[in-house]
Amino acid sequence: MTNIVVLVKQVPDTNAKIVFNGESVDLSAVKMVTSPYDEFAIETALQHKESSGGTVTALTVGGSGADKILKDAKAMGVDNIVRVWGDGFETLDSNSFQSVLSGVLSELGADVVYCGKSSADLGSGSTGPGVAEKLGWASVSNIVSASFGDGLTVTAPADGGNAVVNVSLPAIISCDKGDLKPRKPNVRGIMMAKKAQVDVREASAPASTVTLVSQTPPPAKPAGKTYEGGQSAAEVAKLLRDEANVL
Amino acid sequence: MEKFEGLDFYDIESLLTEEEIMIRDMVRDYVDEEVIPHIEKACEDGVFLDKWRQDLGEMGVLGAPLKGYGCPGLSYVAYGLICQELERGDSGLRSFASVQGSLAMYPIWDFGSEEQKNHYLPKMASGEWVGCFGLTEPDYGSNPGGMVTKAEDMGDHYLLNGAKMWITNGTIADVAVVWAKLDGVIKGFIVEKGDEGFTAPEMKGKHSLKASVTSELVFQDCKIPKDRILPGVKGLRGPFSCLNNARYGISWGALGAAMACFHSAKTYTLSRIQFDHPIASYQLIQNKLAWMLREITKGQLLAYHLGKKKDDGTWFNEQISLAKMNNVDIALEIARMSRDMHGANGVLDEYPVMRHMANLESVKTYEGTHDIHNLILGRYITGIQAFTREA
Repeated sequence: MTNIVVLVKQVPDTNAKIVFNGESVDLSAVKMVTSPYDEFAIETALQHKESSGGTVTALTVGGSGADKILKDAKAMGVDNIVRVWGDGFETLDSNSFQSVLSGVLSELGADVVYCGKSSADLGSGSTGPGVAEKLGWASVSNIVSASFGDGLTVTAPADGGNAVVNVSLPAIISCDKGDLKPRKPNVRGIMMAKKAQVDVREASAPASTVTLVSQTPPPAKPAGKTYEGGQSAAEVAKLLRDEANVL
Repeated sequence: MEKFEGLDFYDIESLLTEEEIMIRDMVRDYVDEEVIPHIEKACEDGVFLDKWRQDLGEMGVLGAPLKGYGCPGLSYVAYGLICQELERGDSGLRSFASVQGSLAMYPIWDFGSEEQKNHYLPKMASGEWVGCFGLTEPDYGSNPGGMVTKAEDMGDHYLLNGAKMWITNGTIADVAVVWAKLDGVIKGFIVEKGDEGFTAPEMKGKHSLKASVTSELVFQDCKIPKDRILPGVKGLRGPFSCLNNARYGISWGALGAAMACFHSAKTYTLSRIQFDHPIASYQLIQNKLAWMLREITKGQLLAYHLGKKKDDGTWFNEQISLAKMNNVDIALEIARMSRDMHGANGVLDEYPVMRHMANLESVKTYEGTHDIHNLILGRYITGIQAFTREA
């Protein structure tokens, strides 16, 4: 029976307005959601289970506020939900974060792990390959489809085309959007999620090797230009071609 | 238009359970992805998409507050939130769910035999079977007690004769709960699609609820097996108890339509430039937006508190009348105001406001007209009924 784990991360809603408080992002009033690429990972994990059997465990690193995304994953159909937290985890760097995940994945006895190709907040894309490196597992990144008939076969972009890869387990697979449409929860799933208990585990992490000094917002967009009337058409076309490079 | 993120000025979300929030968000996302992108075409074509029937069944929101027989047994607050989000998409979608759950499934659930419950409810909860509710007749709308549709006991079956009108889901229904007089007493009967002597032609030409099927039900010597009578109720209590549940859902649903109109008005007026400034920067527009927010917030508090009373079982009929009447009334006024604030653009299908406005004219009329609910409250206040000229 395949032990499938999917890594999920809580991030600010991608529609949320980000507020800066001094030198850092103020997330206190921001709605938190599952990182969108992680939803493709959940869908892939559930399809793997439906095709080959097994169990799917959603795993996140976070405080109690992250229970919500685990409940959301449960409502989509995962079997188990696990949250890991420990002292000093607020400031984990990627290296420490991957060490924590490696330890818990070993504890869980995972055969295959799915994650999003990158998170919607930091977007470093390092979790999948980083954890695979620590565990010495196979790793394929940015897959756009997967099949589970005769072993795990995934498709990932490569050199302008696609590479089809047979993957030996254990492995960590990071998921791009592809053609997948993550399933929506239904009332039955939500009611099961309400009753589900989050398996909370404590862990320790190696000290961070990098320190976040400050964050800055992106520069404000320059004011737009307005053109009216047919007499402007030639000039607009010229700007679209020469400045915007879209023609 | 920017994504709808909810309208919750008084932080009502803090009063909701985790389950209620998840269900609201599930339906909200569904409406954004599967209803709003297709609703204008559906209205233009005058159809209720069969996909919506399947999806609502798969989501598990049909017959939401009923327990057992394949129904989820959600709180009435959760049911209200479902109605709110569906009607934010379109009143036709909420009407489908109201009729299926409150008007067709509920009477079977409350007044049906065990066999009837087991036979009908699981397939109606899953959306496999569509239900409708036959009460109103061409000559008996606000006065349903005067109905002329009658059933006769023929020994081994009932014979149904008469006609019903303004029946949501009628033509697409597999199951109709029909109210008719048996020896002068109103009783409920389950009529199935294909029953001999039963037809359900669709009514055409509506300028409102265009993405909803509205039908006549015609019974001409329609033979009904004896086990299709609802054994648990007689008199107007039967249909009125169904209507109470539907009216409760409408009190939330209307807020959804109002929120959609508010959201569109806010977005439009912030982007529409006249006299070198967004029209939202002018006092007349801000006055309108503030009025909308005020009325929606009051309506939310009304609906939420009524929902808790429904869950506690401490409600009474007149409270539902007040909520239905008030929330539809303010929603319709908000829709009209929003249409006005969109200027000429407000009549286009690029914006949802005129569709909601036209829909709400029906919602104001069905499930007890605005005036009938006033009379219900008038009777409650004075102890004197004013429905008829008789004392």
